[in-house]
Amino acid sequence: MNQFFYGLLLLIFLALPPVAHLLESIMIVHMHMQMPMLVIAGFLMARLFQLRFPAFFEKWNGNGIPGIILFLIIVVFWTIPRAMDEALTFPSMEVFKFFSLSILAGIPLRDSWKKLSTIGKNAIIVIFTIKYFGMGLLYIKAPVQLCNNYLIIDQLTLGWGFLTTAICLVIYLLYVTFTDPTKYE
Amino acid sequence: MIKNRHTAFASFLVIIFGCILFYLGTAGFTAFTAETARVNQLIDNKPKFPDVTFEDSKGRTYSISEFKDKYVFITFLYTSCTTVCPKLEMNMSKVYDLLPNKYIGKDIVFLSISFDAKRDDPATLEKYRGYFKSDGETWRMARISNQAELDSLLKAFGVTVIPDENGNFAHNSAFYLVDKQGTLIDVMDYKKIDEAGKKLVNILNKDRGSKR
Repeated sequence: MNQFFYGLLLLIFLALPPVAHLLESIMIVHMHMQMPMLVIAGFLMARLFQLRFPAFFEKWNGNGIPGIILFLIIVVFWTIPRAMDEALTFPSMEVFKFFSLSILAGIPLRDSWKKLSTIGKNAIIVIFTIKYFGMGLLYIKAPVQLCNNYLIIDQLTLGWGFLTTAICLVIYLLYVTFTDPTKYE
Repeated sequence: MIKNRHTAFASFLVIIFGCILFYLGTAGFTAFTAETARVNQLIDNKPKFPDVTFEDSKGRTYSISEFKDKYVFITFLYTSCTTVCPKLEMNMSKVYDLLPNKYIGKDIVFLSISFDAKRDDPATLEKYRGYFKSDGETWRMARISNQAELDSLLKAFGVTVIPDENGNFAHNSAFYLVDKQGTLIDVMDYKKIDEAGKKLVNILNKDRGSKR
């Protein structure tokens, strides 16, 4: 219950117009801070839904796969340049952003993550690594301005942000591949 | 087994949802950026050229009716731009060269519109015009001094212009084609010179043909 409260508080805080406006004024903060925080808000709120409707999650997300696919779809959707642009132009898209990233991505992520096997988890991280390399190169190499609401320099910053995140993910993957955690326990 | 069927069904539903979401979000996988969506929508909507007053490089003032019964091939720029505008105007001059002489000035006029009315006075435009071999007559360069009028045009034609701290502007670029009635009929990729040239020649040929 406490977690739900904190999650909701975070969501409301992010939705405050001055906060939302500030975060959205910088492209990289919009994508790499506001959006993940919305997912975190949903992640925290998920606890209440898990306790209230355990049967629902058990029945429809027994192996965690539907949930993680839903999470992937929502997150990938919000990296499309147009989606990000339209969130700034159309209030309905903005509402959908808050709703989808918290409820449709945060909640299924929490419910699915624990149910996935190690291979499943690593597969998700590999998918994100590839995606981040791809998006990073797209934003850096694109000869045109991808988002009408941001300057090219913002686009380059975001591209490098994607690449650095991808590099971190690679380091993590190498780490789990070549180290044996049981040795240190 | 039953549990698996449920999760399989849920996965299926989620994927369907994803397909619908991506289909709607990208206008049927055609527009991944707001810019393509904008261009597609403009071509569908065919907005009218709003009533604005131009002031051109020769200091003449007139409205769009100056170009009545002519096609107008338009770009938007500002002369202090060091990045995309020179390229845009260079490409525009190449399109100009691709057109047969008989059409130029009679059936079609080229018009470069500056959205930086403060700095781009007639003298500046007159100088800038020279760089691209624009004659100031069949290819004119003009500013719109009235901010409200300028905004109405930019809005109607979906041109986003964001000023940055250094006195530059981030803006989207394209070739715009307005027909004889002052309606926007096409928005073309400014990097595809040959394609734009061919399209124009086609339209102009057809137009002369229908008059005969």
